[in-house]
This record gives sequence, C-alpha cells and structure tokens, in this order.
Amino acid sequence: MNGLPDLPTKFDVIIVGAGPSGSSAAYLLAKKGFKVLLIERGRGLGDKNLYGGRVYAPPIREVWPQLDKEAPIQRWVTKERISMVQGDKAITFEYKAEKKISFVSYLTQLTQWMSKKAEDAGALFVTEVTIDEIVMKDGKAVGVRSGPDFIEADVVVDAEGVNRLLLERLGIVERLKPDNIALGVKEILKVGANNIESSFNLNPDEGVAWVIMGDITKGLPGGGFIYTNKDSISMGLVLHLKHSIDFIQNGKFDEHVSKLIEEFRFHPYFKPYWKDAIISEYGAHLTIEGATHFMPQKFAYPGLLIVGDAAGLLLSTGYTFRGVDYAVYSGKLAAEAVEFARNNGGFTYENLQIYDKNVRSSFMYNELFKHRGAEQLMNDPILMSKYPSILIKVMEKMFEGEYKQETVYDALMQALKEEKVGPFDLISQAFGLVKSI
Amino acid sequence: MRIIVGMKWVPGTTSVRIDPKTGTLIREGVPSIVNPHDMPAIELALQLKDAYGGEVIALTMSPPPAIRGLEYLIGMGVDRAILVSDRVYAGADTLATSYVLAKAIEKIDKEIGKVDLVVFGQETIDSSTAHIGAQTASWLDWPYIYYAHSAKLIDNNKILVERVLENAIEDWEVDLPAVIATHMKALKPRPVRLLNKIRYKVEKPLTTWTNNELKLDPRCTGLKGSPTIVAKTVDVPEVPRKKVIYTPKDGEDAAKWLIKTLMEDEKASKALIKALKEGGGK
Amino acid sequence: MSTSTQSSEKKKEEKPMKLEDILQSDIWNVDEDPHIIVDYNKCGNCKTKPCVYLCPAGCYVLSDNGIVFSYEGCVECGTCRVICPLEAITWNYPKSGKGIFYRFT
Repeated sequence: MNGLPDLPTKFDVIIVGAGPSGSSAAYLLAKKGFKVLLIERGRGLGDKNLYGGRVYAPPIREVWPQLDKEAPIQRWVTKERISMVQGDKAITFEYKAEKKISFVSYLTQLTQWMSKKAEDAGALFVTEVTIDEIVMKDGKAVGVRSGPDFIEADVVVDAEGVNRLLLERLGIVERLKPDNIALGVKEILKVGANNIESSFNLNPDEGVAWVIMGDITKGLPGGGFIYTNKDSISMGLVLHLKHSIDFIQNGKFDEHVSKLIEEFRFHPYFKPYWKDAIISEYGAHLTIEGATHFMPQKFAYPGLLIVGDAAGLLLSTGYTFRGVDYAVYSGKLAAEAVEFARNNGGFTYENLQIYDKNVRSSFMYNELFKHRGAEQLMNDPILMSKYPSILIKVMEKMFEGEYKQETVYDALMQALKEEKVGPFDLISQAFGLVKSI
Repeated sequence: MRIIVGMKWVPGTTSVRIDPKTGTLIREGVPSIVNPHDMPAIELALQLKDAYGGEVIALTMSPPPAIRGLEYLIGMGVDRAILVSDRVYAGADTLATSYVLAKAIEKIDKEIGKVDLVVFGQETIDSSTAHIGAQTASWLDWPYIYYAHSAKLIDNNKILVERVLENAIEDWEVDLPAVIATHMKALKPRPVRLLNKIRYKVEKPLTTWTNNELKLDPRCTGLKGSPTIVAKTVDVPEVPRKKVIYTPKDGEDAAKWLIKTLMEDEKASKALIKALKEGGGK
Repeated sequence: MSTSTQSSEKKKEEKPMKLEDILQSDIWNVDEDPHIIVDYNKCGNCKTKPCVYLCPAGCYVLSDNGIVFSYEGCVECGTCRVICPLEAITWNYPKSGKGIFYRFT
C-alpha cells in the first residue's frame, strides 16, 4: 500500500477521537495489553476541544485515580451561583458547597493530560489524521479509512464527538437536526488570579460556577455561564438552535450571535468581574440538549462501540451540564466490554453487546431519563422569560419603592397579573419544572 | 534519486496578535508551524520520488521542538528526517545556517549515500531573506535554480527545471547534484497520511546530529559565525482595514467597481494614479 | 508608545468589539482546501438564512447577491451544517491537523 510491509495495519481496537472518552478507553485498554490505535484529527492534543468549563470529578476518578493530584485542575468549584437577569436588573442565588465534586479546567489541557497518559500506557497515538469512514464488511465494522489508507481492527470505538459525521455516513444515525442541539459560544478573559479571588471572594484553589438565565440571550432560549479559571474567566452563552432559527424566521432576532456575547461581557452587573480584561480566546462548540432523542438506537453494533458525545451521553438540565465525566465513564464501559469479549471467546456482537447493556444500567442513562424534558422546559421561550421576569418584578416592588414598599404577597400577585400568569398556572408549571430539572 | 528537502519551524505569523492595550505583539501561546513556503519544496521532492524512486530526507537546523514539523513531513511521505541541533548553532544568521546545512548535506552524501538534489522553499515567513538556497549551493559549489515550478529527470544526472517568472517561462537543464528553490505558489502540498503517521510512531525515522557529529569550528556557526547585525527592530502598528464585499456580475463589472471604489478613497486613488503613470498608463 | 495612543486604545476596549476583532484572539493554520462546500444554487431559495446570524465565526456574510462564504476563520463547531434549512452545506473536518487551534478553552 505504501511500500511499507513491516508496519502494523491491524489493531485490536481503533479509537476515533482523542477527547475525554476516546483517551479514557485507549488508556484502559492499553494498560490491559490491547494493541490500541488512537486517532485524533487535531495537530496537538486537545487542539480541537472546547466546552463550558466545569467537570464533575467522581466518575472520572474511577478511570483516573490520580486526577486530584496530577490533572491540570484550575479551581475546585465551591460556590454555585444562579442569576436571573432582566435588563440591568438581576437576582442571584449563591450556594457555598462543602465537598469538592467538580472543578474548572481548560478542556484542551485536560484531554492533553489524558491522551498523553494513554500514549504512555502503550496506545499508538496518531494526530493530524481525519478519518473518512468506518469500514463495514458483512454488517460488521472492520476498521477505518483515511484517504487511501485502510487500517483493520477487531473493534472500532467511535469517539468522534457531537458532529457524528462517521455515524451519519454509516446510516446509524440521522443527519444532525437543530432540535436537540445547542450552540455554545465562549470567551476566555484574562483577569489575574488575585482579581478573581478578591472579586468572587474565594480562597486560592476555590472557584465559582455561575449559570445565568433571563434576557441575557435577548429572549433566545438558552442561558449564560461564567466559570473561574486560575487567572482567567470563561464566560459565554448556550443557545438552543431550533428556537434560534424560529426567532430569526419570525423576525425576532436579526443580530449576529457574537453581539450577544459581547453585550453579556459589557452587562453592567457582570462587567466589574472582568472590567476591561482582554479576550484570550474566542470559540464555539455544539452541545446536546435532549440526550434521549439524540442517542443512537444502540450503543453497540457489530464491531463498533459508540462513546461520549457521539453516543448522546451528555446531561443538560439548564443549571448543570455534564459531558466530560459521562464521556470518560462511557470510555471506561467500552474498555470493559472489549476486555469482557476477549475473555469470553472473542469480539463477537453478542459479547460486545454487554456495553449497550452496561450503558443502559449505568447512572448516566438513569440520570438522562430522569431529567428528560428539562431542556424542553428550560428552553421554553415563554416559561424562561416569564419566570425571571416575575421574580424580578417581585424584587423591584419589594426593594425599589421610593415611598411605598409592597408585602411579598402583594408584590407577587401584582407581578403575576402584569405577566398574565394565574397563581395556579404558576404552581403547576413550577411543579413541572422542579420535577424534571 | 536521493533528495534532501529543507524545512524551517517558524511561528505561525497568521496567528500573531496585537495586544490592544500596549500595541505590541502577543507571542504567548503562538504555535509554530512548518514554514508554509517550504510546502511546495516538500511536494516537489515527493513527486520526484514518486516518479523516479529513491528517498527523501528532511533536514532542519533548529532547537528540538522542530521535531513536530519533521513529524508532519514524514506524515506527508518523507522517508526520514535529520534534526541538526546544538547550542553552538544558536543565534545563526543565514550565512552560518547555510554553512551548517551544507556540512550536514556533505555528511549525508558521504555516510548515507550520494545526494542528487537539495530542495528549499522560496523563503521563510518569519525572515523572508530567501538566502538559504543560494548560500547552501555556494558552500557546496553546486548549481542553483530558484523560482522552480517543476522538475523532471532528463537523463541519469541531469534535471530539467521550469521557472515561472512574471513575464517568461524558462526551462533550465542542470547537472546533478544541484540545489533548487521552489516558487511559493509552485505546488499544492499533499495531506498527511494515516499510514505515514503510524510509520513515524513505530519506526521513529528521525536522527539528531549535534556538533559532536558534525564537528564544525564553533567560530563558523551560531552567533559567532554570523556577520549580520540587527541594528534595530520596529513593531509596525496595526493598520485598520476596511472590508467590503462586492459580488460582481462578471470580470468587467468587478474591475469597474474596484477602480471606482479605489478612486473614491483619497490615499488609494493617489497610489493608483502613480502606479498607472509609472506603468506607462497601461 | 505615547500616552495619547494608550488612552485611545483603552477607549476602544470599552465598547463591545466587532466579531473580526474578537477573532483576532484565535489561531488557525488554514487548510489549502476548503473543508466546507456551500451549494449556492440551493442558498438562493433560502429566506431565513440562519447561517448569517448563528455561525459564531461569521463565515457567512450577506451581500447584494446572496451569501458569501469563506472557510478560513471557521471554528469547526458544525452549526452551519445543522441549521441550514436547505441542507446546502457539505461539511467536513479540515485535513492534516489544519484549522482552528484552541489553547485555553
């Protein structure tokens, strides 16, 4: 093929994509002595990774027990904030947590750390290569093709991420539709560690995760986020794509999305946290909303396991987003399934199906179904503009009366009336919301 | 044919940013890349190998991070790579660099096998001197052709090189061994291949030569061997640019629109009239 | 650098930046071949043109004669492919490790 007869062209496992799921699977399999080929399209490790900013540690520690000591952790999240914003007005809840459950990290650095470990464990790690096709033979995945080159494997692990070009080409999933997809746009603002600790009132290794609802998105369904890194702030917006298209169609949105994030950066309530810090990086990535609709029919096919974002394993409740830990955990389950198959007579479909079974009985699947519908409510334009608006109005009537101050009850009733929401609607909708998010 | 191709690992200047507060260049986190103008040279070397067989060896004089660039070249299909790296080579201008490269080429010729051709890019994006090809050829006392667009073997020790100039196309017959430098627009480079990358990881076809191997007089290398004096560097302030998008009906419409738009701008119209006068009003 | 320039630069910082200035913070190694192909024949029939507003890198610009597309500044998120109502976009990842180069995100 290339005049190179001595080269390995057959592996036990080929993993497409060196993000958190692919790197974790590669690391575990290489440690168990499998001949693993890990393929990444980016030039360096982590080049193509982007996410909000926060990672939940417990499931990751199951694969990476050295996480707390060695991983490039920016800050542990000890403060949770939720804000509702209307115009210049804002209500903020803050919760000071005790346990270190989640941390803020640059995903570029975290995946660098993981994929380096996978390579050190013995996985053959190749960068700068884009895979064109997962090759099927008699209904079974037998390898991958990139340009003219075909490499064979007993098992292919698809860790290609949210843009499932390979799975679409195989016909395993449909063309990506905007219905269950949101766009995340993000800026990194260089602020300085001291400024972060004083303005957020934090100890040196502590951080804040902050979710913002209300008209920070100019009415587009979605929300804002702020995470504190060591010396910079990650901030940005998540916009539901289907609703955004509807808004454009109805003439309710005719600006460029970058204008929204810039207005967020200059919002008088948030701007003091970063003043005029320069933008170190600007980026965007798609994320899944409504994972249960996004999932492929099966997680295991003959010769093929689907992990991470490609498998739709991302929880979005509106106030938490868990993708990285789910990705790592699915990588672990995939590695275990491959090992199970080897120990039980071979990489047959029957043996590999244990991956499908284990995903479905995992905490991830359970959580995704428990919270299904949350994203629909969180993205309901009426709901998500009305509630913040009612709350803000209540506050306004309680605190901004120049002579007269309303009782909480009167303030609430007046606000409901102004927003044309009956008290019983409020109770039933609030109940629906609380039940799913 | 044994072909050596030169490579320089340079900061990606398309990614150099200006700090809006200080107006100076931000160098933090700027990744290096294979000098883009080396790409046509690499492609030409690989095409010659495809046509006539033999091997292509990539050569660079650089600190070790340039290994990433050599990996890229091997990914494209280069057979092996040699990194020439030593503290005594640091701070070299083009004269001292070409001296070390020429000595490395002589070493390859003597120890690995007869070298037929050396191919360089037109120039680098970080210094734009275009010296290296000519100087290396001088040290080796080999013929040198630049602005090469293509080359083919016409008998066992002769190549025919096509140069494309502004107003002429020239064909040159050159005796081998020779040095050529490609035109920056000569050829589109091929993508990286999966098998080549696997080969890089498995075989590690990469050698590092320090001055222990080359045994050069340190007075002729690095800063000491460099007569060039950089008297002063000035950061050129960022010029704000206007961006206009116009979709023309056809070529004539595009030309008319462009001239009309340029004439409306005071500075641009002056420059345009001056250029037209100097060009004989053509 | 004189103080007057500094203060004028500072003023520039005090208002939201234009997208082309924001994109200055990013790094690309642009592929020789476009990784996205737009079928302009289909595009012409599109009334909504969500790509103009939602492509976070502003690769799709509206001109008198329809959409003008350039791939060089693409951040490879995939939004355009998902939102295009007429499926006029053939979308691939850049080859050979080219394209956007994230460092901090």
